[in-house]
Order: sequence, then structure tokens, then C-alpha cells
Amino acid sequence: MNRQIRRLTIAIMLCYLALFAQLNRVQIFDAQALRDNPDNTRDVLANYSRPRGTVSTIDGAVVARSVEVDTPLQRQREYPEADLFAQVSGFFSLHYGSTGVEQVYDEELAGQTPELELESLSDLFVDRDRSGSVVLSLRSDVQRVARDALGEREGSVVALDPRSGEILALWSWPSYDPNLISAPDIERASEARSLYLLDPADPMLGRAYQERYFPGSSFKVVVSAAGLESGRVTMDEPSYEPVSSWTPPLTTRPITNAGGAVCGGTLAEILRVSCNTAFAEMGALTLGPEVLAEGAEGFGFNGRPPIDLPAPARSVFPTDYGEPLSTPDLDDPDPDVAGTVYENTPALAQAAIGQHDVAATPLQMALVAAGVANGGVIMEPRVVHEIRNADGDLVERLQPSAWRQAMSPSNAAALRQAMIGVVTGGTAWRMAIPGYEVGGKTGTARVAEDVTSTHAWIVGFAGPQGETPHVAVAVVVLADEDVGEQAGGRVAAPVARAVLERALSPASPVRVDDPPDPSPDGAPDDAPDDAPDDAPDDAPE
Amino acid sequence: MTELRSLRRRVELGLILLGTIITASAYALAGLGTTASLPADVVPFLGVVLALMIVAHLAVRRFAPNADGLMLPLAALLNGIGYVFVARLDTELAAPQATWTALGIAAFVATLIVVRRPRDLQRYRYTFLLVGILLLLLPFTPLGFENLGAQIWARIGPIAFQPGELAKLALLLFFAGYLVENRELLSVSTFKIGPLMLPDPKRLGPLLLALGAALVIFVYQSDLGPSLLLLMLFLVMVWVATERLSYLVLGSSLFALGAYVAYTQFSHVAPRFEAWLDPWNPDLVRGEAYQIVQATYALAQGGLTGTGLGLGNPERVPVVTTDFVFAAIGEELGLLGGTAVLICFLLLVGSALRLSIVADHAFDKLLAVGIATLIATQAFIIVGGITRLLPLTGIALPFVSYGGSSLVVNYVLLALLLRLSDDVTTRQLRRVEREAVPA
Repeated sequence: MNRQIRRLTIAIMLCYLALFAQLNRVQIFDAQALRDNPDNTRDVLANYSRPRGTVSTIDGAVVARSVEVDTPLQRQREYPEADLFAQVSGFFSLHYGSTGVEQVYDEELAGQTPELELESLSDLFVDRDRSGSVVLSLRSDVQRVARDALGEREGSVVALDPRSGEILALWSWPSYDPNLISAPDIERASEARSLYLLDPADPMLGRAYQERYFPGSSFKVVVSAAGLESGRVTMDEPSYEPVSSWTPPLTTRPITNAGGAVCGGTLAEILRVSCNTAFAEMGALTLGPEVLAEGAEGFGFNGRPPIDLPAPARSVFPTDYGEPLSTPDLDDPDPDVAGTVYENTPALAQAAIGQHDVAATPLQMALVAAGVANGGVIMEPRVVHEIRNADGDLVERLQPSAWRQAMSPSNAAALRQAMIGVVTGGTAWRMAIPGYEVGGKTGTARVAEDVTSTHAWIVGFAGPQGETPHVAVAVVVLADEDVGEQAGGRVAAPVARAVLERALSPASPVRVDDPPDPSPDGAPDDAPDDAPDDAPDDAPE
Repeated sequence: MTELRSLRRRVELGLILLGTIITASAYALAGLGTTASLPADVVPFLGVVLALMIVAHLAVRRFAPNADGLMLPLAALLNGIGYVFVARLDTELAAPQATWTALGIAAFVATLIVVRRPRDLQRYRYTFLLVGILLLLLPFTPLGFENLGAQIWARIGPIAFQPGELAKLALLLFFAGYLVENRELLSVSTFKIGPLMLPDPKRLGPLLLALGAALVIFVYQSDLGPSLLLLMLFLVMVWVATERLSYLVLGSSLFALGAYVAYTQFSHVAPRFEAWLDPWNPDLVRGEAYQIVQATYALAQGGLTGTGLGLGNPERVPVVTTDFVFAAIGEELGLLGGTAVLICFLLLVGSALRLSIVADHAFDKLLAVGIATLIATQAFIIVGGITRLLPLTGIALPFVSYGGSSLVVNYVLLALLLRLSDDVTTRQLRRVEREAVPA
């Protein structure tokens, strides 16, 4: 019998050898493929069931938080403010991934950064809550004012602190409810998502930083800065001839002023009344394409702003205007001399008043205002102020850092004064706030041949007298067929003023230490706007 | 003689202490992993485990002092790891599993006390056959009840158990006794079927009848695992006893035929086979193959070193505390932990096989081979099923899975092995002493 037993021993050894081989195959060689199998929701469920930190505004309003639920997915994301911060927070969906801060700060929220993961050696053995909380730089009161002021008009509001780049409000309408898309039930989530995707108004688009529009006359700030920086324009000269229309070379189509007005003069004056003819001539002849493009790119055009939100749109200023054709008083065309005419100078004249192919995001235009306000330095825009750990201790405060030097401090100071003039005695007068220094520039951008179809723009800044402005703002209200022509000064300025005014008043903490489950509706509604727009409507534009 | 004895027992005690420390550490880690705090009862737990094992160890010292010192610590380690996983996966099962472990140890001690000479069991072979068949029929009596669709349970007083587990042991004893008695006659061929030489049907009859009855009952209960196990046990024992390969060949052919018939005739067999061949088939992945696919994901999640005790999601695998406990071990302890468990089985089975080689008496040999085959096959069938080396057949992983009947029976098997080992070693030592003394 011993021979059989020895053979049996060998047979059992072989069987177990096969087991070891198979176990190695499943756990080592095929493991990655098995983990990546789309049918395998283990990683996903584990990831979505982990503790995830809270997103809140700097004044304490809860934007996103995780609540424990008794389903295979142990936690669910909740957005108490619904659509108010949707385009900043984004959503966090088991089925559709994540967007916004949920995406960009995923590692911090999930607690996967080295700072959050390993605070002490004992953490190696303990499964504590490592999740981090994200504190936004946004103020819930400013955001609410932006939403209420814009109302049901399609458009965007961006307000930021020019000194740090921290964004105080970023709102656009229409918006969406991230709760619906983050629903763990795929049918509900899918229904909500297709509803939003089919909506022609595209509510999930973060218009404020992901969509670009003709900036119209608000772009004249950039043209002015380019002129000052090149030295071809100063506050005193040239002085443009007051005209009601100006026809660029190589075309017969004249550029006119709003309402057929006659205007002209030096920089401060033409900025004050938003003189199309003067700016067109300045851009097309005094400055030329290279100076203009350089000036625009100095503000960040043709590049992406380094904001901590996903996929910001690139604002564009076209740079190709063909070959130089002729320069006055010279035999050969010289691009370095003012007055040189290019093959496409008529388009350049349009570009100089924010038309043609110039396109900018509201964020970009807010950064333009911020650059002027902040002595020419544009700070990197940020929606996040700091990261805290699960115990509420500070982990990291995001340090402000300069993005671009758009212009010299002296030119910036001069342009700032000019923009203040636009508010005190010009088209942006509706933005004035008593007791504060406010500067601005309106814009009315034609979007089609139809003159009545226009976007209303305003960019500006405000702060205590004599200080670097504390807030910069950009507002765009999109063309609306039912409303007709919308001038920036009339339509956008009151919105900007309301936002600036709220942002200048000190923030009152909504709830300092927010427990996970407070009363269903967070902050008390804002006090009614105590500064009704009582200005007469028939004022000059 | 006393030197070897005390060495074996000292090794045993040392290994038991080591196994207890491993078990208690695993228990503490599992607590840390699931609740981020040390289990409050970790010290009493350590005490109870240690007490149980010391009782078993003292019983061995008293009743089988010359027995192999490796087997009890291996079983204790497997049982300990199994308990930690069962308790970690389902806290409600912790108390019953602890009770069953205590009962298992009691059965272990009782077996050591009652069975003074394993060879005497040979006399009761037909009693064991009768008991085995009765046990198999027990679930169909008023004592039986159905649970989770399987009519394999019986209840006596407050204790619910699976009589089939005990029946395996009774049938093993019957096979060993009967084969020892008839092995000479069974290895003589008296008539031919084709190229195969077969013995007198009169000798083979009772054996086939017993096997047939058991298989019919198991198949009737749709319990494929035990029937496969019993068939393998039977074939191996007949082959070893008769030393005739033709039994193995014929048996395997009959098994293949039976498997084919089952595949075509039983509606629940074919999908299992398909789930084995192509588990990610969209028709099966959420149905018949769901268990095996989830178990495979669990193993893949574990990788080399595992997710850590208490830190994986093994509860996503259905019936993870019983048939699929190895998937949980593979997920949280990784390839290394799973391999360690398999090596424990190999060492245990190896000890039993070595014992069967050195035993002098045919019954002792057959009993040891039978027990080794039972444990080896059981672990192989279920781990092979979970890793998709074999089609899946639900069966308990000895000493590890949740389940009282299985635990108690395995401890009885272990006690029998230790008794055999003691017997064989004592005799060997006597022989050596006799030869050492000059005539």
C-alpha cells in the first residue's frame, strides 16, 4: 500500500501546486486586469464610500458634504445650496465622475495627499478619517447677491479680490442642481443629466469661466492699457478728432458711435464716453496689430487663466492681420511705425472695440479689471482659500501668486483714474457707490447683424478711497431677443454695483463651526438690498 | 522514549502559543481595521483561545503522549484565522462559532479518551455504515428542516447541524474497516469486462451499495460538493487498499460518465459549468456566475499582500463566511496569507500521509489515508472552485469556514490522527528499545 500512498502524496502535491499557480495568476498576473474590468465596481464603490470632506465658503456656508446612507454606497454627496455653487463645486457622481472643485481638489477631499495621509506614525495602523475639507474663497452672501441681481437673465458674474486673486463670487445663470446628478441611483442621475444636456440653455456649462463672448467696449480697457504700455498713447495725446463716424482704410464700411454721437479727445475722455471711432482709429492705426496683441496677451488673452477649476476657456485676440501694406511718409511699409496699414486693418479696427474675432470669458474680463486695479499685476485666480483636516485644523493655506504683469504700476494708476472717471462722469455711472472709489467700463457687444441683439457688459473695481481696490468685477448679461438692445451701463452696471457693495461690506460668518447636519436650509436669506436702484433711466449712455 | 515524548509535546505547546499569538493579533488588527479601535474583549479573547488550546494540548499529553506535535497547532491556527474572519465578516456569527469551537475541542478530547486503540473501530464497520446512512436520511425525518433551499439540516434540541458532515466520518470508518477485511479478495480478479479485470461482485457489492446510497441521497439534496468528496475518498481508499489501478481508472471513468449525465440531466449543473468556463458572459455575470466573479474580484483586490485585515470589502462576496471564506482571506491577507493557509493544509495532510506510511496495520494506514484525503480534497475542491481552477462546488474549508458540524467532525478526525500517531510511534519506540537491548 505504501507505493500507492506515495503516489497519492505526489498527486496531492501536484493538485496544490496547481492551486498555488492559479492563486498567483488571479492575485498577481491577472489582478490589474480584473481590477480594471468595467464590471468590477469594487474600487469605485470603495472610493465613493470613503469619508469625503466638506466644501464650504469662507463665511461658513456648506456647499458640499457627505452624508452616511445605508446602501452599498455607504456615503452620498449632498449639496445643501443646490444650484447656488454648482459651477464652482461641480458634482461628484458614481456614474458620471466629477467636475469643479470636486474634481480639482479630489485628492484633498478624499484625504489622499501626503499631508493628510500621514500626520503621525500611528496613522499607519489606524483607519481614521483622513479626509480634508476645502474652504472656498467665495462668500455666500456675495454669491447670493450676484444670483439675485442677475435674476433670470442669462449671464455671468465674477467678483474677485484683485490683491490676492481670490474669487468672491462666481455665478452664472442658468445653473443646475448637482444633487440630482450625484444621485447614486443611476436612473435618476441619468434622467437629470440628459434633461440638463438636452436643455438648449446648457445649465451645466460654467459660463463664467468656460464660455467666451464678444467683450465689446469693455475691451477698450485692454486697448488703453496696450496704448499706454507701448508709449504711443499717453493721457494727454494723441487727441482724436471728434467725429460721429470713422472709416478704416481699405473698406467703405464706417464705424459709428452709439446713438450717432460725436466724440473724440484724449484717452480719459474717449474712455469716459466709450468712443468707438477714437478707439477704432487708435487700435488700427496708432497701435497696430503687434502692440494690441502684445497688450491683450499681457492680460492673459490667448492663454488659459490658471484658475483651480477644470477646463477654463482660453480668451482670444486674433493676431493675424496679413502683411503690412503701407506706412505713411515711408516708401516701404514698416510694422514698427504707427499708422502702418495691413491687409486686414478693417478687422483690426473692429477688434479694437471688442468685436471681430475677439472673445473673452467673464473671468478674463474680471482679471482685466483686477490687473488695472492692482497696479498692473494680475494674481492667479483661485476659488479655494485653504484646506483643513477632518478635525478642522489648518493643513494648507493657498498662497497668492502673481500670474502676469499686464502693465507698469504708473500706467495702471493712470488707467485706474481714467476708469474711475467712467463711473463718476461716464457710461458706468450706475456703478457708483457713495463713500467708495469705484472704476469701471461698460460694454455693449453686438452679437449679430441685428443691432438690437447685444450682450451687456461691465467690468470694474471698487475700494475705500485711496486704497488698492478690494474687489474687481465683471458682469455679462447675454443678448435676449425679447428684450432687444441691452447697453452695459443700464443692464449690467446695477448688477455689478450690488455685488461690489456687498463684497465691500464685511462678511458675517454664516455658521462658524458647521456640524454635519444643521437645519435644512443653511444661511438666513440675505437682508433685502438696501440700496434700490433709484437712478433715473433716461441718463446718457 | 520519554525524551522524544517530552520534546514533541514541548514543540506542540510552543507552536500552540505561537498560533494563539497570531490569532489574537489578527483579532486585534481586524478590530482596528473595521472600527479603528482595539476590540474591548481582546484580552479575554486571548485567554479563552489559550485556555481551549491548552485543554486540547493537556488531553494529548495525557492520552496520546507520543503523537505528532505539529498537527494540533496547525489545526488551531487554521481554526483561529477562520474564527477571526468569521467574526470580522459577521459579528452575529462570532458567538456560535466560538461555541462550536469549544464543542469541537470537547469532541477532540472525548475522541482521545474513547478511542484507546483506533484499530478496534474496525469491528464496528457495519454499525458505522448503518449510522452513516441513517445520518444521511435524518434531514428527511421530522427532525430535519430546510434552510436556504437545502434539505441538509437536522435539529436535536437547540442544536442545528448538518448530519451529512458526520455521515462522511461514519462512511470513512466503514470503508476502512470493510476494505481491510476484503482487500485480498478484492485485488483478485475473477472476471473480465473488456480489458478490465474485476473482482467477485459479491465482494464489491456492499461497497458499491453503500457508496451508491450515499451518492443518491446527496444528489437528491442537490448537494454536489459532498458527493464529489465522498466519491474521491472512496476511489482513493479502494485504490490504496487493493493496490489495483483498474479501480481508479474504472472509477474515474464512471465519474466522468456521471458528471456528463448530471450536466445534461440536472438543470442546475450546466449553468455552473458554463459559469466556470466563461464567468463574464453577460448572461451569467449577474446570475449563476455572480458569486465566483465577486470572489475573483476579491482575490484580485487583495493582490500580493492584501488590503489588510478589516480594510477590504469581502462582504460583497455572497456566502463569504462559509463556502467563500478563502476569498475573504485572499482579499485581506493577499496571496501571502492565502498561501500560508494552503501550506497549513499541506503540512497537516503531509503529516497524516507520513503517518499512514509508517503505520504497520492496514486499518491504521487506510484510516490515516482516508482522513488525509478527506481534508486535502475538501480544501482543494473549495479553493480550486474559488480560484476557478475547478467548477465551483460549495463545501466548507476545514477548520476555517463558519459551521459547527464541519468543525466538530474535523476535530474528531484530528483526534483520530493523533491517536493513530501515538499508537504508531509508541510501537516504533518499543521496537527500537527491544532491538537496542542485546539478546
